[in-house]
Amino acid sequence: MSKDSIIAQPMGTLNFKVLRRYNSTLLRSSKHFATNPKTILVVLVALFLMLFNMIRPFNNSLYEPDFENTKNTHYYDLDNYKGSEDGWQRGERVVFLVPLRDAAAHLPMFFRHMRNMTYPHHLVDMAFLVSDSSDNTMGVLKDNLLELQHDPDPKIHFGEIIIFEKDFGQAIGQGFSDRHGFAAQGPRRKLMARARNWLSSVAVKPYHSWVYWRDVDVETVPTTIIEDLMHHNKDVIVPNVWRPLPDWLGNQQPYDLNSWQESDGGLQLASTLDEDAVIVEGYVEYATWRPHLAYLRDPYGDPEAEMPLDGIGGVSILSKAKVFKSGSNFPAFSFEKHAETEGFGKLSRRMGYDVVGLPHYVVWHIYEPSSDDLKHMEWMAKEEERQRQEKEIQAVYKKYWDQGFEDVSDAWAKERHYMMKNTDFRKQRKIEVDWSGEDDYEPAVKANAVKDQDRAANFYPQ
Amino acid sequence: MLVPNKNHLFHQIRRKPSQIVAPILFLVLVVYLLFGIGQSSSKKPKYSYKDKTQGWLLSSKIPPGPDEMAKNHIMHYNMNLLETTVMPAFNKEQVLVLTPMSKFYPEYWDNLLALSYPRELMELGFIVPRGKAGDEVVKKLETAVKAVQRSSTESARFARVTILRQDSESVESQLEKDRHALKAQKERRSKMALARNSLLFSTLGPFTSWVLWLDADVVETPKTLIQDLATHNKAVIAANCYQRYYNEETKKNDIRPYDYNNWVESEEGLRLASTLGPDEIIVEGYAELPTFRALMAHFYDPHGDLSTEMQLDGVGGTAVLVKAEVHRDGAMFPSFPFYHLIETEGFAKMAKRLGYQVFGLPNYLVYHYNE
Repeated sequence: MSKDSIIAQPMGTLNFKVLRRYNSTLLRSSKHFATNPKTILVVLVALFLMLFNMIRPFNNSLYEPDFENTKNTHYYDLDNYKGSEDGWQRGERVVFLVPLRDAAAHLPMFFRHMRNMTYPHHLVDMAFLVSDSSDNTMGVLKDNLLELQHDPDPKIHFGEIIIFEKDFGQAIGQGFSDRHGFAAQGPRRKLMARARNWLSSVAVKPYHSWVYWRDVDVETVPTTIIEDLMHHNKDVIVPNVWRPLPDWLGNQQPYDLNSWQESDGGLQLASTLDEDAVIVEGYVEYATWRPHLAYLRDPYGDPEAEMPLDGIGGVSILSKAKVFKSGSNFPAFSFEKHAETEGFGKLSRRMGYDVVGLPHYVVWHIYEPSSDDLKHMEWMAKEEERQRQEKEIQAVYKKYWDQGFEDVSDAWAKERHYMMKNTDFRKQRKIEVDWSGEDDYEPAVKANAVKDQDRAANFYPQ
Repeated sequence: MLVPNKNHLFHQIRRKPSQIVAPILFLVLVVYLLFGIGQSSSKKPKYSYKDKTQGWLLSSKIPPGPDEMAKNHIMHYNMNLLETTVMPAFNKEQVLVLTPMSKFYPEYWDNLLALSYPRELMELGFIVPRGKAGDEVVKKLETAVKAVQRSSTESARFARVTILRQDSESVESQLEKDRHALKAQKERRSKMALARNSLLFSTLGPFTSWVLWLDADVVETPKTLIQDLATHNKAVIAANCYQRYYNEETKKNDIRPYDYNNWVESEEGLRLASTLGPDEIIVEGYAELPTFRALMAHFYDPHGDLSTEMQLDGVGGTAVLVKAEVHRDGAMFPSFPFYHLIETEGFAKMAKRLGYQVFGLPNYLVYHYNE
């Protein structure tokens, strides 16, 4: 017998007694109907209890087995874990799924965000997948977790935390440009998809209502991120992801180009590709003309605004757990010409779930310079040094010029008048000079001039 | 001339200035405090965190969460150690037996208990529909499970048993005639796929090496079913599902093929698929859709070698052993037409798209309940 029906039992008997009393009062009241306030009160209470018991069965009509004293046996009604818009007020559990690879440097930042998160911590479970790491990701992860779980404030402590370790082997380097080069995208995305599926298939439990995918390298994120996304009550929802940039690159830039709406151009491109091809966004090789969530951002726009999407990025995805339970995942093969998170968007749509993005609600990814950026930054540093040295030398030159040569043009302007005042220029004869021979000389002069100019431009102090 | 000040109040103020200053200070303090409270109320959290599960009229209990948590709630599993070998019992590999159950057959349960695979390495998972019929199944299952799991000897108990109640309503009618009508097939199998996925992705554990899909109406299998299928060391391997019946013609007990969903793709099947719209499916065993696919059910040879293998393109779910890594990589049961295939047949296609091979054992029989 379930706990609820045990509670319901005494309620029923009480109601029965009250009913009996109610019946007898009815009999008595027929004799002396003169209003007795006590009688009215009893009748009202009886009516109320009857209504109350009528409502109860609707609340819980299914049979529930009781496995209290039965070893390793569990019963879950999946209907209890469907997820609602105010899950934090209903004790709904969220599982954080975090794939990690060589992420030691970013973990302290990630755990600072976790600590400040407002979603009730005891309702948050975490699952990490550590794979193919050559740095001390595992050690740093464990240190941070222990610190978090042994915090003197019990409100900081989280629910169940599971670390999974699984290496997939990697063909591609993890530098920014290795990862984001065009040719590397297909195989890389398929490998990432496998890793994500290994994590979600083992970490999502029957009692989870929500799944939150989160990359560790998010720099700025609202502390209410879960509530902000959850209250939209969508099956799959993503915020806009941007990244800050150094001044010389224009301060900020859309980061996640994987969140988009399908376009005719995209469908047409897909139809021309072979079965195993994977379309990746943000590369000139695949022009799809799709509207991207990232580019639709208005810094002053309504953060609540929604936009239906077909492909999504994986930096921060809140999804109802039923989406993963019912089989949607990150295709590690070309599904409708997409893989991984973009494929997840497509697959979830195919399964009838709504996939939504918030164009004006932004989380900020960290800035990692690309190899072109690195080259440019190196050049900038050199250039700065060159300008500094040039200035120094210019100062020395200027000093010698000032000392070695006196500027007499002002004095001459004054003296000229006195010197020429007795000269009548009108009577001067006209002098014609024949410059014809000079032209032959010109090329040589010009060549020299170019040489000097060149020397000035390539000015590099040794 | 000094006129003595007769005003008592002035006199009082002069003598004890604090008597007038104190009330003014107090007033200022009160105003400041009110103002201060006003300020802090504008900083109140964006959302309310009041518990909604406990009302004064109706209180719903919070559904159960994780039960066995480590001391600091941190656990660590190294899944690099997972193995699937030809000797699973010897190598202590965990097997997850999954059964969507819309009816409880005692013969199924007895057959399950008779399997020779060590129970401490076996986890069971069931998913049961909502409604009255589901309630019946849960009650019977509860009794059966309690009898086993309350045993005092550890080796008699299964490592874990999970019973799930489906979140969506299942298709109403499960009568044999309706069940197989072509029109109803797509919807029924789509719901079935969702049930299978919910079961699989809620119960798959970190140390699960193999997943055995065993239908609730499979009532007779060899005792060594798991070991026999695992010996072939294939990513996906299906047994041939037959049915026992009384043959009126020969007046003898006989067997006949039952599961037609294990098949090899044919030219005609591919041609047929290319003519269909994106939302249409092909299912086996209907005259309306002649595919001329080679069905494993027809390849049974009573005198043949039990371990004969054949490569398949579609599988039925009656008795299939799958390496857990196939599911972990993302092979699931499509609830939508995937290459015009759905549910278990779609699963076979998806496993193949992920680079795995699918096999069947035509001479290795398991038996379906005869309705």
